[in-house]
Amino acid sequence: MQSELVRLCIEAACENRESVEKWRRQRRSLERLPSYLADALLRRLIHRRLIFPSLLEVFKHSVEKIDLRGENSVDAEWMAYLGAFRYLRSLNVADCHKVTSSALWPITGMTSLKELDLSRCMKVTDAGIRHIISISTLEKLYVSETGLTTNGVTLISSLKNLSLLDLGGLPVTDQALSSLQVLTELQYLDIWGSEVSNKGAAVLRKFSKLSFLNLSWTNVTKLPNLPSLKCLHMSNCTISSLLEGDGGKPPLKKLIFSGAKFENEAEALMHIEMSFLSFLDASNSSLQRFCFLPNMEALKHLDLSSSIMGDDLVKHVACVGANLRNLNLSKTRVSSAGVGILAGHLPNLEILSLSYTPIDDVAVSYISMMPLLRAVDLSNTNVKGFIHQEGAEPDFFLSLKALESLNHLERLNLEQTHVRDAALKPLSSFQELRDLSLRSASLTDVSLHYLSSLPKLTNLSIHDAVLSNNGLYLFNPSATLKKMDLYGCWLLTEDAILSFCKKYPQTEVRHELVHNLPSNPNGSTSPSPSRLTSRTLLVNQKQGNISIPPSFVDQRLKYNREELLALQYSSLSLAIPLDRGSTTSQLLMNQSSYMS
Amino acid sequence: MKKEDMVKLISAEGFEFVIDKDAAMVSQTIYNMLTSPGSFAETQHGEVTFPEISTTILEKICKYFYWHLQFASGKETEFPIEPELTLELMMAANYLHT
Repeated sequence: MQSELVRLCIEAACENRESVEKWRRQRRSLERLPSYLADALLRRLIHRRLIFPSLLEVFKHSVEKIDLRGENSVDAEWMAYLGAFRYLRSLNVADCHKVTSSALWPITGMTSLKELDLSRCMKVTDAGIRHIISISTLEKLYVSETGLTTNGVTLISSLKNLSLLDLGGLPVTDQALSSLQVLTELQYLDIWGSEVSNKGAAVLRKFSKLSFLNLSWTNVTKLPNLPSLKCLHMSNCTISSLLEGDGGKPPLKKLIFSGAKFENEAEALMHIEMSFLSFLDASNSSLQRFCFLPNMEALKHLDLSSSIMGDDLVKHVACVGANLRNLNLSKTRVSSAGVGILAGHLPNLEILSLSYTPIDDVAVSYISMMPLLRAVDLSNTNVKGFIHQEGAEPDFFLSLKALESLNHLERLNLEQTHVRDAALKPLSSFQELRDLSLRSASLTDVSLHYLSSLPKLTNLSIHDAVLSNNGLYLFNPSATLKKMDLYGCWLLTEDAILSFCKKYPQTEVRHELVHNLPSNPNGSTSPSPSRLTSRTLLVNQKQGNISIPPSFVDQRLKYNREELLALQYSSLSLAIPLDRGSTTSQLLMNQSSYMS
Repeated sequence: MKKEDMVKLISAEGFEFVIDKDAAMVSQTIYNMLTSPGSFAETQHGEVTFPEISTTILEKICKYFYWHLQFASGKETEFPIEPELTLELMMAANYLHT
């Protein structure tokens, strides 16, 4: 626990460049500073983007842990300083794209380094690994998606103390894996996307302590028995047999089969001890019968989205419902009748997703029988929000009213359903609701009015609705509202949105017409805009679907946040070149995809 | 003010700060020194010497104790820290668990 005054001191020390200069001038080294204070101070400096290579010098005798993940500026000069850190135990330079093989030369032979993360440093190649293997103390090494070849992977075998090795996305062959079998301390091995086949998988037996294994996107179909295994990823593999062989059955806790194909599921899963399993992801898999489910008594997290699961099979899920916390049935054939079968069997369920299922309003009343639910996703279903009753007076009732009994409901997603304004009336009494997502062209100001009374509403998203300027003007949200997403509400004008932003400065509004950066009352604790840029860039690369104009970074750095905010209200705002406006709004969109 | 309600904190240079016991007890370390069973000199005389803490820093620490009491009673003001003092003060605060 960090004491209050220590925290205040760190804040004051990292206020701005001048304050850094002041304490720095006093002392050339922070030798006497206990390492956890030095770590905390450095972390804050990095967060506030006040760190530069030569400032690292003062930390060289005190810091044990550095996390520079995603810092675009980290290059050979930084590494030169970091190489002199005598007590450094952990160095994270993942996603630092300027880190090259030669930049790693200064950290050669470091004597206390135990953990090194070079993930996605694409310019690190086999030459870089030659520097790394001189650090014989290394216990954890992350080199996924770097420029390593099979030869580079083979070199890693000399790091005998490794307990964790992440080789994700590298061309690891059966032969390379075989050369790694000397790493007998290995507990964690990630070789997703490698060229390893069944022949290589047989070698895994040599790692007697292995508890985590990721073989996703490989050609492995037969996995031998690994008695210590706790967590297994085999997404997008074709599986014929698992953990067959002598030795005790491994105490598996987590299984990820998303997108996996099974030739014969009963046979493939025959050797698995299911009673300890708490996490199963079988989304998009070819599993068909689910007869194994009743054996998984300890199951807490179950993802069956996009699987063949339907009303006929859902009884198997009900069998293991007692401990379930999180259940994902989206994009399955489960209908309201299926939810009815589950209803009384999920006493501890907290998160439920039924999006893209054929459920209707009858399911809503069944859902209200799951008392601990915190988050419910009903998007893209046939839910209308009311049920007709023949002969009764009135002849319909509002189905969402049933959810009122869920005292813990914090998140509700009703996007792309058939709900209209009147059906949303019951929502106004949901005391705990924090996140609400709506998307429908039939919603109007009336809905907005119902939501004014939600005391804890934090994130509100209403897409494509027919909201008017007057409706927005009359909307009086709770002071807790941090984010309001109004994309696609085409009737709103820029003036109306800006005046709403002025009235509620704590709320960040998103809309096609809003080009300012998100308003943020606690700017000091949030990452600065340029840091966001690097993050969003990263997200884009992962998704690989949004192309960024080459001018993107420069445009973003041209103005700081204050300048942008000032521009927003000045007459200049009309003169801002069009491309800047579009890149900024693109940034906002990217951010939303990053956060969601 | 009774003598037993006060404590004397002595800096490295020998400067003495006489402050309320309640204020000094904001520091977990001082609290432990003053309340621990047995006859430690600190407990008996209500005096604590800090050979590692300079006068400037100890003064700032005392100010913080009083600020903390005020803050805890609902008076929300800022506690200003001069950048020059931050590192020394941080180490002292860490030692004093305050």
